[in-house]
Amino acid sequence: MGGRVAVQAPARRRLRTGGESSGARERLLLFRVGDGTYGVSLEGLWEVLLPEGVTTLPTPPYQVCTALAYRGKSLPLIRLSELFAIGSTAIPPTARVLLVRGRRGAVGLLADDVLQVAEIETARIHPFPAMATTLPRGFFRGAVSWQGRALFLIDGESLADFDEVQRFYADAPRPAR
Amino acid sequence: MAQADFRASTVEQPLLLFLLSGRRFGVEIDRVEQILHAQPIISTPRCPACVDGILEYRGRFLAVLSLRKRLGVSGPGPEHPAVLILRDIGPDGALALVVDQALQMIRIHPDGLMTPPPRVFGIRAEYIRGVGNADGHPLVWLDLRKLLTSDEALTLQV
Repeated sequence: MGGRVAVQAPARRRLRTGGESSGARERLLLFRVGDGTYGVSLEGLWEVLLPEGVTTLPTPPYQVCTALAYRGKSLPLIRLSELFAIGSTAIPPTARVLLVRGRRGAVGLLADDVLQVAEIETARIHPFPAMATTLPRGFFRGAVSWQGRALFLIDGESLADFDEVQRFYADAPRPAR
Repeated sequence: MAQADFRASTVEQPLLLFLLSGRRFGVEIDRVEQILHAQPIISTPRCPACVDGILEYRGRFLAVLSLRKRLGVSGPGPEHPAVLILRDIGPDGALALVVDQALQMIRIHPDGLMTPPPRVFGIRAEYIRGVGNADGHPLVWLDLRKLLTSDEALTLQV
């Protein structure tokens, strides 16, 4: 089972800070994959885990989506560095598993490193250009410019529609009745 | 959406003329929102083959397409290419197109435009709105809407 680290309860309130814009704001957990910076909403984040429970499944359909042993269950885990076709197959010591809420339950995202929590005005989040990636439409819910760099926001809800996650669910053993 | 046959009209069409690998191409000027230079391009994961990444433009992000890559031109392009911001094109409604050099705006009369042969510079006529002449050089008016949303592999003859 993955060890639980740096867990922070999901923030459900909208924060306002004096002197700043009164627009809705969103808290994001930022993480790194390769040279890129990505984010997921804290509201959709369940836990951050050490990747100790990651099980390598060598069969071809699971090159990107593998299994995470979590509290007696097997959850789909997306290796983001492989999905993005960057980096090596080795899991770096800084790697963390982000357990996010998907439509069919929790889905793990294997990131190279967790960076920080950032609070961003929702209005500054813009659509991610569909032509800029071959990943399924909806994988990125948006992009935002933050502190001189671009953050790509992953839509945790959409992960259940991801082909490899669907195959994982289809191949998962049914619980005994 | 089908585009009207320009050759059947009597109105001059303003085109932005640009260079790619020594060839002259044109695009409707009203599709060009701005011409930029030296833009920082941000890499994106799983980039399509003809896409360089994205850039930030007026508070939004646009896909950056390389016309050299789209037309299968090998070798490095110029050190400072031009970036055309195009509107009303592609699934995102706008995109940035990298070309070698933006030249000038010209007005082309329908009488000066010919129906393209099956291929011009190796590009099939389907992606061409017409061929003409610009300062003694052949000019190809590209149908960028078709060209940039098709998956067909193309090779520009240079």
